[in-house]
Amino acid sequence: MGTIFFELALTLYFAGFLLSLAGIIRKKQDLDKAVLVCSLLGFILHSIYLALRYLKSGQAPVFSMHEANSFFAWSILFASFFIYRAYKAKILNFIVILSFSFMFVSAFFPRNIPSIKPELKSLWIDIHATMAVFGIALFSLAFIFSILYLIQERAIKSKKFGGIESIIPSLEILDKINYLLIFWGFPIFTIAIIVGLVKYLTLWGFLFDPKEIWSYLTWTVYLSIFYLRVKGDWRKKKAAYLTIFAFLLVLFGFFGINLLTESFHKPL
Amino acid sequence: MSLIVVGVNHKTAPVDIRERLAFNSNELIKEGLRYLINKPAINEALIFSTCNRVEIYAYHSVSGNAEKTIEGEKNIEEIIIDFLSDFHRIDRREFENYLYIYRDKEAVEHLFKVTSSLDSMIVGEPQITGQVKEAYEIALSERATSLILNHLMNRAFFTAKRVRNETRIGENPVSVSYAAVGLIKKVFDELSKKSVLLVGAGEMAELAIRHLIGSGVNNIYVTNRTYERAKELSKEFNGKAVSFENLKEQLTKVDIVICSTGAPHYVINEKMIREVMLSRKHKPIFLIDISVPRNIDPACNNLDNVYLYNIDDLQDVVDSNILERRKEAEKALGIVCEETEKFFQWLNSLDSVPVIVSIRNKAEMIRQEELEKFKSKFKDLPPEILNSIDYLTHSIINKIMHEPTVALKNNSDIKEVLIFAVRRLFGLDSEEE
Repeated sequence: MGTIFFELALTLYFAGFLLSLAGIIRKKQDLDKAVLVCSLLGFILHSIYLALRYLKSGQAPVFSMHEANSFFAWSILFASFFIYRAYKAKILNFIVILSFSFMFVSAFFPRNIPSIKPELKSLWIDIHATMAVFGIALFSLAFIFSILYLIQERAIKSKKFGGIESIIPSLEILDKINYLLIFWGFPIFTIAIIVGLVKYLTLWGFLFDPKEIWSYLTWTVYLSIFYLRVKGDWRKKKAAYLTIFAFLLVLFGFFGINLLTESFHKPL
Repeated sequence: MSLIVVGVNHKTAPVDIRERLAFNSNELIKEGLRYLINKPAINEALIFSTCNRVEIYAYHSVSGNAEKTIEGEKNIEEIIIDFLSDFHRIDRREFENYLYIYRDKEAVEHLFKVTSSLDSMIVGEPQITGQVKEAYEIALSERATSLILNHLMNRAFFTAKRVRNETRIGENPVSVSYAAVGLIKKVFDELSKKSVLLVGAGEMAELAIRHLIGSGVNNIYVTNRTYERAKELSKEFNGKAVSFENLKEQLTKVDIVICSTGAPHYVINEKMIREVMLSRKHKPIFLIDISVPRNIDPACNNLDNVYLYNIDDLQDVVDSNILERRKEAEKALGIVCEETEKFFQWLNSLDSVPVIVSIRNKAEMIRQEELEKFKSKFKDLPPEILNSIDYLTHSIINKIMHEPTVALKNNSDIKEVLIFAVRRLFGLDSEEE
């Protein structure tokens, strides 16, 4: 089932991961090109793997732990290449580390095609799940860039340099990227929520699942970030803090709810 | 072999000596080079002259026995000092004490350090590599360099490139006005879309503005207590003069403020900036205060999206950058040592004895191989014929090898060039690099 593509992608991400780590520890950007090449090649192979899996199973490759993690890794890289092109910002090293980590986690889970409930086998559920993971991937990037923003901002304010801030882009770029991520992430996440809700109602009526409730809560927080950002006069540091907070909610939804409750959203 | 550098620099000689020894134009350098390479003891030469240093590199190929070599070295040093004295019409006793003289390994190391900006007044400043390149180009145009110095210079540029790539030596600015621009770039991205307001005047402020213009800023406003002065200055930067009464209004519009007035009190206070930030919708603003006493209330830095640096803050940044450069210089020295070692390996390969042995071995190897092939093809040839063939091939090789061997053993001026050529022609270096 094209597992070889997965292994190759994982290996290339690993190379990218090591190069990124070397760059960050040495606070140099001379390895950035190599990081780009490794991650881009890995990304292409990874895309082939996901496409093959989709063709084989006829369902979006996002339902098992293996699939969700690998698709998540794919999504953040996908978005990062856009950011890299749009802003020429040297940020891939931070992302590749994250991407590899998820890919690595994904490698430990069984790779069989998960069998989902027959009533959930539909294009709508595919859209719902894919959009949800992709939206959250964008939020996780916003989370990372918010942290980078705060590191850079703190260095400038406190006037103490010599740390990692020397390879972090300017505040303006980081803020622009954050804006972009929320600007796209929020509508995508919204679509996922709406599609999920409609499907849920048509299938079972009102019988809310804990993960769902949590998602609505998270959604409202992102709604406020989205609103404040698009409105425009409330930005920068506070936006960064709120973005970090929102993502912590997401993380809790991801891990906490899965562990503590019996949600049917639990990955298979 | 004998490589030598004779020179003065900012560490060894006061400026009036450096001035008098300097070669101030390309024509003078060319003239000097012609003089030097006309000396029989000097095969190759290079003159490097900047405001901080004057250095003469010379190479002479060693001929004859060791005693002569020492004599030659002594000689070459004297020749260069005499040359400096004659050329600049300055008594050698006046500058002799300021000279440094390095030979062979030390000379190579010195050149690599100079080219990599490790010997500069401001360690890591990037201009020096270009200056060395220029000097080398002049020497090339005069055909003053040849095999050895050409290779040496190429290795020097390679070393400089390595130092630049592998260390952070040139990364952080070490002058206050550059440091200011560096900090501004940490906040803002496209400086070409940013505007700057100069409040007051002053050398350092103007320098900072010039660096900002160099980084792409082209929206410049100038304000001053006296409007006429502002108008004057604004012309210089191609900017706009604005009246001092409208300072607050200006502050809401611009992204960067450089403040340098003679006022004994705060020209910009916290309340003012607080209000400005509201009307700016919290768009970030970068304030630089280079006035003493300070003109911007330090409390402004506590406001969100306001970044304030005064002259001491900038100086601190510069100091820590200098410290960082010193640390990186240590790493760079390692690279210099490595490259010096490599250069000497190359140089040693230009010794004639091993080359003669190598080409003879190679010829003999080929002869044996071909003989074997021949023998396996014609198995039933009588042994006396085989012996004759063996003898014949042997003497052919000896005849062919005779002239090259003599030429290589001969101590001529172009010995290194010959050896270099032979190594190439016979493919002796194929296993290296």
